[in-house]
Amino acid sequence: MKALMANKLKTLLILLSLIFSIVSIFLISSISNGVISMYSSMLKSDGDIIVTQAKISDTFFSNIDINLMERIDKIEGVKISSALIVGASPVEKLPIVAIYGSSDNRFNKYTLLSGQYPKKDEVIVGNSIYNQLNDKTQVQIANKTFKISGVFKSEIGFENGGVVLTIKDAGEIFNKSASMILVNSQLDANTNKIIESIKNLSNDIDVKSTQSFVDNYNQFKIIQTSSNVVSFVAFSMGLLGIVSLMSITVNQRKSEFGIKRALGISTSKIVYSIMVESFILGLISFISAYLLSNIILFFVKNAKELQGYVNGEISTQLAFYVFVASILMSILGSIIPALNAAKTDPVELIQGNKI
Amino acid sequence: MMKVSNLTHYYNKDLALENINLQIKSGEFVAIIGESGSGKSTLLSILSTLLKPTSGDIVYEGTNYKDIKNIDDFRKNNIGFIFQFHYLINYLSVKENINLANEKASKEEIFDLLKLLGIENLIDKYPNEISGGQRQRVAIARALINNPKVIFADEPTGNLDSKNSLNVFEIFKSLCEKGTTIIVATHDKELANLTNKIYEVKDGKIQ
Repeated sequence: MKALMANKLKTLLILLSLIFSIVSIFLISSISNGVISMYSSMLKSDGDIIVTQAKISDTFFSNIDINLMERIDKIEGVKISSALIVGASPVEKLPIVAIYGSSDNRFNKYTLLSGQYPKKDEVIVGNSIYNQLNDKTQVQIANKTFKISGVFKSEIGFENGGVVLTIKDAGEIFNKSASMILVNSQLDANTNKIIESIKNLSNDIDVKSTQSFVDNYNQFKIIQTSSNVVSFVAFSMGLLGIVSLMSITVNQRKSEFGIKRALGISTSKIVYSIMVESFILGLISFISAYLLSNIILFFVKNAKELQGYVNGEISTQLAFYVFVASILMSILGSIIPALNAAKTDPVELIQGNKI
Repeated sequence: MMKVSNLTHYYNKDLALENINLQIKSGEFVAIIGESGSGKSTLLSILSTLLKPTSGDIVYEGTNYKDIKNIDDFRKNNIGFIFQFHYLINYLSVKENINLANEKASKEEIFDLLKLLGIENLIDKYPNEISGGQRQRVAIARALINNPKVIFADEPTGNLDSKNSLNVFEIFKSLCEKGTTIIVATHDKELANLTNKIYEVKDGKIQ
């Protein structure tokens, strides 16, 4: 610890390098996880089976016949089904706002803060977006004006920052019948059997359990992969930063390592001492980065401009993985400088050279 | 105590030491003198196990250096070293610098050792808070903390004034009287005359 304090500037630079890398990993991972988690919780809260158009990779482009709902409801074990259209549109000065066309039987998902659920030519708006509207009585979506009949709140950022209208109105805007049908099965029902029965209704649909849909949804995979790639880049940049800064630090402390070697301190002990210093740096960086990331995420979550769509949370699992990555980063980054330090030749000291 | 036979050393193709033969008895105060670049520091490095010779044998109390398996442990347990520059670590206190050589040494042991050298009041000071002569005494204390049988000192007075240089040699002399072998490389013939035995190295050979 004293060695770290003695080289304050370099220790600070190493810490900053580590902290920025770890914060990047935290932010990119938690925000992408947040996006995935928001969308999947939205789907999961509606049912355990999801019906979309076959061979369409994105729910935004899916179009299925809403009349299937009636036939689905008649299948044994089905409790209730509901339909949803997902789309996006500019609203006032906001460039992209999530638009949800909902069948009437799922309006009660949205907890009203004021007003009533929408009828034809009406919308309810999420609390987050309502606060940003100049005109709090009506909104224009795709050249059509809708009266604001109520304001709702939702724990899901995508919904809280969105607009909900009847599925018929949404169908006219987005020129489709429904993006998806969400099926809620009875507690003792055989989900697989229900999925097979729904599949038999039409060749144009794809039916999956919501969990399976979430696990295999291409958009989630793309987000996850991108997040992993960016995290890996941040990790590598942090690693390179540590290697270079530790190399400079170790080089400046060569006489210290030389004297230690001359005093009979083994190379493994010198490597170990540098590793311990690195571990301490990794630990301090992780704690600082964890706190900093939470502060940033708090501001991001509450930033009006982001409409509540960017909502990252650092789970215990993510914190654990990033902790391991931080310690790995600091230790891996110091291995080469530590081995170089351990090789310091005390003979150079003895010969009067100030190493 | 130490017998050196037919010792030769090359740095790449440059001959540094040629056919050195010498014998040092326990408790002797030996000076190795010579001009800068004569090979005395190389000889000291080899004798203190820091450098492996190209050829030749060094037998220390019946053990040939070639047969020592853990040279770090051997050095730690038998040899003390004092450099031309004190090489104290600035961010460690005097006590902590001495603990580098023996982490188990207690504050009392270190205090007693410093008292022997007349600098016990510096135990909690840092190197940049004490004088050059005091730093070299701390370096001597660091070399002594493991009770080594032999101490190698390379130009230990190189950065000291004549008064402090004499003090250091007096300390060495008193250590020799207590049975420690001291081998000093120096170019100062006046100081060398205070030792029991002088080897002069010139162009890599003992004169």
